Amino acid sequence: MRTLVFGASAGIGRALARALAAKGHDLVLVARDLRDLEAEAAHLRLTLGVGVECLVLDATMPERVAEAMARLAPEPPILNLLFAVGMTSPRDTVASAPAEAAALIDANLVSVMAAVATLLPRLREADRGNIVGIGSVAAIRGRNANVAYAAAKRGLESYFESLRHALSATGIRVQLYRLGYVDTQMSFGKKLMLPMASAEQVADRIVRGLGRDVGLAHVPAFWAGVALAVRNMPWAIFRRLEF
Amino acid sequence: MDGGIAVAAELQRPDRYGWFQTAREVRPLIPRGAGMSFAAASFAADTVSIDFTAFDRILDFATATGVVEVEAGIRLGALFDFLAARGRYLPIQPGHPAITVGGCVAADIHGKNPARDGSFIAQVESLKLFHPDHGTVEASEDKERELFRATCGGLGLTGIIVSARLRSKPMPAATLDVTRRRVANAGEAAALLRSSSAERDLVYGWLDLARSGAKFGGGYVMLGDFSARPDRGAAKPLASSRFSSEARARLPLPLLNRWGAWAVNGAYRVKLGISGGGSSLADAQFPRGASEMFYRLFGRAGFHEYQAIVADARYPDYLAFIHEQAKRLDVVLCLGVAKPFAGTSDFLRFAGDGISVAVEVPRGGRSDAFMAELDRFIVAEGGRPNLIKDGRLPREVADATYPEIERFRAFRRAWDKGGRFRSELSLRLAL
Ligand SMILES: Cc1cc2nc3c(=O)[nH]c(=O)nc-3n(C[C@H](O)[C@H](O)[C@H](O)COP(=O)(O)OP(=O)(O)OC[C@H]3O[C@@H](n4cnc5c(N)ncnc54)[C@H](O)[C@@H]3O)c2cc1C
Ligand SMILES: NC(=O)c1ccc[n+]([C@@H]2O[C@H](COP(=O)([O-])OP(=O)(O)OC[C@H]3O[C@@H](n4cnc5c(N)ncnc54)[C@H](OP(=O)(O)O)[C@@H]3O)[C@@H](O)[C@H]2O)c1
Repeated sequence: MRTLVFGASAGIGRALARALAAKGHDLVLVARDLRDLEAEAAHLRLTLGVGVECLVLDATMPERVAEAMARLAPEPPILNLLFAVGMTSPRDTVASAPAEAAALIDANLVSVMAAVATLLPRLREADRGNIVGIGSVAAIRGRNANVAYAAAKRGLESYFESLRHALSATGIRVQLYRLGYVDTQMSFGKKLMLPMASAEQVADRIVRGLGRDVGLAHVPAFWAGVALAVRNMPWAIFRRLEF
Repeated sequence: MDGGIAVAAELQRPDRYGWFQTAREVRPLIPRGAGMSFAAASFAADTVSIDFTAFDRILDFATATGVVEVEAGIRLGALFDFLAARGRYLPIQPGHPAITVGGCVAADIHGKNPARDGSFIAQVESLKLFHPDHGTVEASEDKERELFRATCGGLGLTGIIVSARLRSKPMPAATLDVTRRRVANAGEAAALLRSSSAERDLVYGWLDLARSGAKFGGGYVMLGDFSARPDRGAAKPLASSRFSSEARARLPLPLLNRWGAWAVNGAYRVKLGISGGGSSLADAQFPRGASEMFYRLFGRAGFHEYQAIVADARYPDYLAFIHEQAKRLDVVLCLGVAKPFAGTSDFLRFAGDGISVAVEVPRGGRSDAFMAELDRFIVAEGGRPNLIKDGRLPREVADATYPEIERFRAFRRAWDKGGRFRSELSLRLAL
């Protein structure tokens, strides 16, 4: 049995790979740079003795993602799919060029759909496994920043609802985590209004959730309250917020 | 931050190899490990510190030779656990598990018996170093030897150490038998330190500096050997420590008076009492508890450390001088540690034939004047202060005590033409 982590070279994905390897999972690590993946793979093989395969892919190209996923060896079967891939851009505004917006939607949403669609038959055949998505509090309410990213993450939530619905009668479990601020490169150096969780804390939480049927869970949990407040904040106040 | 010096500096924390190609930073850079140096060696004003701790992986391990390849941001504690599980260890390590391999190479740190083991460079087989003008270069005693020797002990000024191949040794046992010998005075301590350095796996003196009169300069000499008795179980993994440079900088006003010094020494005495006898290798390499409490007191308002090597023969006089000046300037001496050294200093290497004395005094009051007195003694007697331990050391003192400092400067001028790397320390010492 193997576990695929998409976006495993850094941040939450890397912490996930370590936490999974510590539990004995053999891994397929996916990201754009082989040097990062090979370093992590060597470390996991040496320190934890697990089997690790590296796959270089650019999530802005969903077709390629589907092709590469299809070529993954059938044995040992890949039964857990975790999507830690995420891409943001400082130029992601309401005025961004179509290609730029498309790249963000592809990397954050369409590639996840492409990978799931390609590998789902393997999970169905085994009638077990997990599909884990990572959303963002950016999806709570659209703002004048991370425009396409937030739209993609909102789309991801809808997509995971669909997955959960489609797979409800199977042995496959679906989990979507809406993450608050996490201390990774994505948030490094940003002035944030609320405290950050560590990538390790988040990864532990996600690994503990494997095998469970999770509609949508906030991590850290206090973000559920923040989400409620932001969602219900009167427009007159929200429009003035700069964040 | 470190060493009582606070500047507004920028921090970057790369976590992917692509950073080396895409980094278009035009401001000066300086690598940073765990930030645990007492001197301001990994930051400076208007300089970008490159926190390398995300590069923390073990890349290769050869069971037959024990050579382990690691990324430079790995912490010693993690590496210790990995090696210990394979029956191996690094003989030369500094005293805290959060310190990174990059920091050990760059400061060419010493371990528990520098006279016998030398400094960190002795266990480095090769390095990969990144410099924006040169790309990634491999260096060892055989290849790019000058670069290798200038980088080991080069205080991050030759570039970013990306990875290192280190020679581990078989761990003869998981425990050390530590004997504690009472020494009545400095002369006795020096003789015992020197005579023990050939065989022992651990040799250091603990000087009871808070005492006065005839007891001053005496204390204990700790002697450790790997246990010949069967092990009581394998080495235990090191619990991660919450001690960090951040914790140090956040400290409230520490114990700045005689009572504080007394309390610290007392606590340390208790700790020594416990560790006399069998001590796990982890505890011997990374002593915790009371000593950790002590090190927590470093920081903005915390302690100055002064570590210098003096010739064996001058050691008793040096201690007497320390005692006299401390009394004259009303400076409270807190902790003193002595270690036997040997060898010659090239570039910025902290090496030499003699005994090193490290003393800690609370910062403030006339502590600067006290340290200036020690400078004078060390310069006059041909001693050598440790650059990484002292955030204050003036350039003239470094110039007078490091015979190859000019060669290091020349090497830097040739290798780092654009002056891409600098730190508060390098600016102070004009390196
Ligand atoms: C509790 C304690 C015990 C200690 N015991 C000892 C001891 O027994 N013996 C001893 O010799 N020292 C000892 N020290 C000092 C310590 O080993 C050194 O200060 C060491 O350099 C700290 O490493 P760091 O990872 O914290 O690096 P930092 O303090 O962040 O940096 C130290 C230097 O290394 C450079 N550097 C860091 N990473 C890299 C890299 N990847 N590439 C290039 N340069 C880099 C920095 O630029 C800087 O010049 C001790 C310190 C403490 C706090
Ligand atoms: N950090 C936060 O505060 C935060 C908050 C909410 C949600 N999230 C979400 O958490 C997840 C993990 O993010 P993180 O914080 O860990 O970010 P990160 O440190 O930047 O890591 C992102 C990972 O995704 C990979 N990736 C990015 N773009 C890619 C592409 N085009 N093709 C292939 N791989 C790509 C990266 O690998 P390469 O760059 O090497 O390809 C890396 O492994 C993301 O879904 C993110 O949206 C993060």
